[in-house]
Amino acid sequence: MKRWLWVALMVVPLACGGMGAVLFWLDVLPNRIAYLRIDLGTLFLLLGLMTGSVMLGEALRRVVEERRQRVFLQRMQAEMVNERHEFLRRLDHELKNPLMAMRAGLANLTGTELDAPQREIIESVETQILRLSRLLADLRKLAELEIRPLDCAPVDVNELLQDVLTMTEERPEAEGRQITLTLPQAPWPLPPVSGDHDLLFLLVHNLLDNALKFTRPGDKIELRAFEDGARVVVEVADTGAGIPEKDALLVWNELYRGENARGVPGSGIGLSLVRAIAERHHGEVFLRSRLGQGTVFTLRLPVYRK
Amino acid sequence: MSKLETSSPRLLLVDDEVAITANLASFLERAGFQVSTAQDGVQAIEQMKRIQPDLVILDVLMPRMDGRQVLRQLRQGGDWTPIILLTQVGEASERAMALEEGADDYINKPFDPRELIARIRSVLRRARPGQPPLAAAWKLICGRLVFDRRARRVFLGEQELTLTPKAVALLEYLMTHPDELITRERLLETVWGWDYPVGTRTVDTRIAELRRELGDDAVTPTYIETVPGEGYRFAGKVEGQA
Repeated sequence: MKRWLWVALMVVPLACGGMGAVLFWLDVLPNRIAYLRIDLGTLFLLLGLMTGSVMLGEALRRVVEERRQRVFLQRMQAEMVNERHEFLRRLDHELKNPLMAMRAGLANLTGTELDAPQREIIESVETQILRLSRLLADLRKLAELEIRPLDCAPVDVNELLQDVLTMTEERPEAEGRQITLTLPQAPWPLPPVSGDHDLLFLLVHNLLDNALKFTRPGDKIELRAFEDGARVVVEVADTGAGIPEKDALLVWNELYRGENARGVPGSGIGLSLVRAIAERHHGEVFLRSRLGQGTVFTLRLPVYRK
Repeated sequence: MSKLETSSPRLLLVDDEVAITANLASFLERAGFQVSTAQDGVQAIEQMKRIQPDLVILDVLMPRMDGRQVLRQLRQGGDWTPIILLTQVGEASERAMALEEGADDYINKPFDPRELIARIRSVLRRARPGQPPLAAAWKLICGRLVFDRRARRVFLGEQELTLTPKAVALLEYLMTHPDELITRERLLETVWGWDYPVGTRTVDTRIAELRRELGDDAVTPTYIETVPGEGYRFAGKVEGQA
């Protein structure tokens, strides 16, 4: 029940009781002796007080209960984050040793006489071990992100976007894509945001990496940014395959691989990292997509304030 | 004469996973080292007394006595045998602690065994018999550049430099590994704790920050030298102070 209703339920009986008492005492109503030799005025006052007190008690109980539940939920959330971190830490530890043993074993084999098919098999196993190691590193990074302190400083978004773009253009996967960067100059260039430069770099890199994966030669990828007063908005748009509607909310989940992502290389962690980094910077990230037309990711980050 | 130039160096490999010690030991032997193994910290201490290795490769998480306790016990007893820690957790605090407690270097599991050999060779090359490594010094000095590791402050002459925490950690790693070619990937893994493809440019950005603050010229560097296509090298001569 809403809080104002409880206040009303408490105040109305008190007011009725008080009014009744006054009416009887002033002889507006005949103030006869009632049961237990209490005059009606006093009886009304007592009834009002009693009902009001009961309601007040109930309202207080509910306020306390609500607060208790809120604290409980906050604690549960904190515990869940800790448990998840602890689980990923243990997983990291338990998988590292077997992976290490496998890498050492393979390194031993590569030193021996092998024919071409055997060498091919070993290379393929090594690739898969590296893939597992990377996945493990990604999961650990995600867990670390939730609790580690950020190296916060003003970050020049113009420079950062230019750097990420240069790096992306140098990648062989970028071949044939038309990648452009649009930055505002008038009336002023983009203001800095507050954050961890390396993490923000990783965030934009992952978005562009995603765009490269889901576009083909001839497609366009636009990296653009503008300011909307309190926030810097960065968009990564592409004319790629697009994301099916049923996947649009799920692509942010760890290890989720959407329908379009089957057969595309990746661990399913990239967008989870994007979201985690945005949230750690008090920002938000969301996507709009049309199947067969493309996708735009929008990132909003608070402008740096001295 | 350095240990690499004498007969094959003796290594002690300590890890509680037999699958790791067995495979790594034979790999290291094929690379020309004599290798003994131990399964925990207590055994490691006993073996060290017996075989007096030139270098110890020490896992951190082990039963009975973990790698950190072994390291602490040795250093407190004045034993400065070079040690490479096999760190499990890639967190920054863990990495900083490894150097502060007197490890000569550290490498995160799972690593490329060839990378371990490169590290062993460079640690043996740097080792000064019976003396603490630069990694154990509280103050690193290179000409006018002074790095106070306890206070995490860097001075150039009288002036204190304003550096980001990451740039401080990067300078620390470079100064504790002078005259050694360090790839961007290795800097990422050891200083950042990531092995992301995104990172190599991140390293360049931080190196540029360091050079700007140090007033160092990339073409004729006093401190940080670029090895084109490979990585960086700290070119100055570094002295350690306890």
